[in-house]
Amino acid sequence: MTGLSLKNICKSFGDLEVIRNVNLSIDPGELVVFVGPSGCGKSTLLRMIAGLEDITSGEFWIGDKRADHLPASERDIAMVFQSYALYPHMTLAENIGFPLKLAKLPAGKIRQKVKTIADTLHLDELLDRKPGNISGGQRQRVAIGRALARDPKVILLDEPLSNLDAALRLEMRAELARLHKQLASTMIYVTHDQVEAMTLADRIVIFDKGEIAQIGSPLDLYNRPANTFVAEFIGSPKMNLFPASLHQTDRNKAKIRLKNTTYDLDTDGLTGDILDTAITKNRGETIKLGIRPEHLHFSSEGGLRGEIRNIEHLGSDTYIHIETEAKADVVVRSNGISALRNGETVGLIPGPGMGHIFDQQGIRVT
Amino acid sequence: MIRHSKTQTCLIYGSALILALLLLLPVLWLFIMSISSTRDLTSLPLAWIPTEASFGNYRDLVSNLDSSAAQSFLYALRNSLIVALCATGLSLLASIPAAYSLSRLPGKRRRGLLFAAIVTFMMPPVAIVLPLYSLMATLGLLNSHFALIAIYCGILVPFTTWLLKSNFDAIPMDLDEAPIIDGANRLQVIWHITLPIAKPAVGAAALMAVLMAWDEFFYALLFTNDIRAKTLPVAIADFAAGRVADYGLISAAGIMATIPPVLLAYFLQKSLVSGLMSGSVKG
Repeated sequence: MTGLSLKNICKSFGDLEVIRNVNLSIDPGELVVFVGPSGCGKSTLLRMIAGLEDITSGEFWIGDKRADHLPASERDIAMVFQSYALYPHMTLAENIGFPLKLAKLPAGKIRQKVKTIADTLHLDELLDRKPGNISGGQRQRVAIGRALARDPKVILLDEPLSNLDAALRLEMRAELARLHKQLASTMIYVTHDQVEAMTLADRIVIFDKGEIAQIGSPLDLYNRPANTFVAEFIGSPKMNLFPASLHQTDRNKAKIRLKNTTYDLDTDGLTGDILDTAITKNRGETIKLGIRPEHLHFSSEGGLRGEIRNIEHLGSDTYIHIETEAKADVVVRSNGISALRNGETVGLIPGPGMGHIFDQQGIRVT
Repeated sequence: MIRHSKTQTCLIYGSALILALLLLLPVLWLFIMSISSTRDLTSLPLAWIPTEASFGNYRDLVSNLDSSAAQSFLYALRNSLIVALCATGLSLLASIPAAYSLSRLPGKRRRGLLFAAIVTFMMPPVAIVLPLYSLMATLGLLNSHFALIAIYCGILVPFTTWLLKSNFDAIPMDLDEAPIIDGANRLQVIWHITLPIAKPAVGAAALMAVLMAWDEFFYALLFTNDIRAKTLPVAIADFAAGRVADYGLISAAGIMATIPPVLLAYFLQKSLVSGLMSGSVKG
């Protein structure tokens, strides 16, 4: 088990800067998920860690060894490709054993190792087949098996589940979680799927336009998003962001008024110096109040009034879209099947302490 | 499945038949000539079907080692085999890494090189034959296998490089990066991954290269002058160049000269089977 550290990593293709100033340290045995919208640079960073792309500036360390000038083959890092990249002319056993063959291990040892891996991944029956004759899920397992063969220091996974159908994806996700526990190896996992990120990660790194938007445990990101980008990216349906303004009511108290309404909310948790700074900095400016769809509740009287425009029934949950003065489309998520109808007027009240306040630049205030 | 009307089916089969006849009739006529007697071939009107079939011409070419015909044919066969196989082998040795580099590695100048290669391939032989001749004469290489092998390599390398490059281009990039991460260097990638996957293309390139070298006449005619280096096309032409042209003998030599390439094509056919790519990436 080895940790990794990235110091001030930058990457440009010509004039185009795709990765800006990434600082990150990954502990031994940790599973870190890189997540972000497509084009945010997460896959490029993974390829730089693998050694498939050069680093424009910065330092990359594997354990206590500087590695940014090492060729990919000497980094002792394995990678599972999105496309699996199995060798079509080799049997599954040869595919899994290929890294060991390159390392010039004796044939007997290779066979033994391949068998152990095949047992772990339930592939023992298929070892004589070629990649063309097995299913997508099995190909995925073989790709993982090949990555495990050398007992690498770090395993990189580049959107490994994105080519599988929904049911298989769920199954493989659980299997990956099991494997990570069993092997206790350092893993970096790239995905654009926040559910995979939330369920698998010890820590999540969210990327936005080539920069790290936030690093934290899955629940950290959910409970305390550092900015509006993270707030909207994590959680489904995404967080409602209301334009609002901050008003001091007392020496140690303030209220948030939603735009275009007379609806005021308490700023629980926002006190003392932080409140003072927040008020001075944002006086007269439009700030953002974020409330997750699952933290909005209905009330027959009071609250933020609005009219129901659309109802989506998912069975386990119902998503209710409401048009309000403050925001054109507010989404509320309620458990089970809702009896509400289109066109009804309802009031919305956030759960206590469930508001997230972001300043005019979209940075979290508390 | 696409369904064809009766007329369409007739047209398709009719066209195929005409094509087959166009391809096979000359060979058939060559064979008939090779077993006909000189009398049949020179009589007027021409005897299309020989009055008596005889394989004497073939016997003359291979068994009677004292005759000049047999000697020049068998030496030419040996020379052709040496020259064609060596030139093909050396060309592939150079063009496989070249094609890989042009297909896979970055750099703008590589593109220029690729076009330079095709330009040399396009150049008419007449344009360079004189300087080449004087060069070979100075080096004392005229009438040698080496001269022909070197010249044929010059012709074959650009051709096979292009052919292989376009085939390597079709192999997904991931299949290059995966072995590198698995610990392979570039040569190991080529040997273990690229070549086995591109086997049909390599087979096709080898076959085309052998055929081009086997059939080449112009340089062989100019750069060789006796049985030590003359290749089959030149030797066959020699049979026709004497005072009396023995058409039966020429035809028999022609038929025999086609046997090695046909055999080669037959054996390479297995490696030409494509479809190896299925299942390597995605589903």
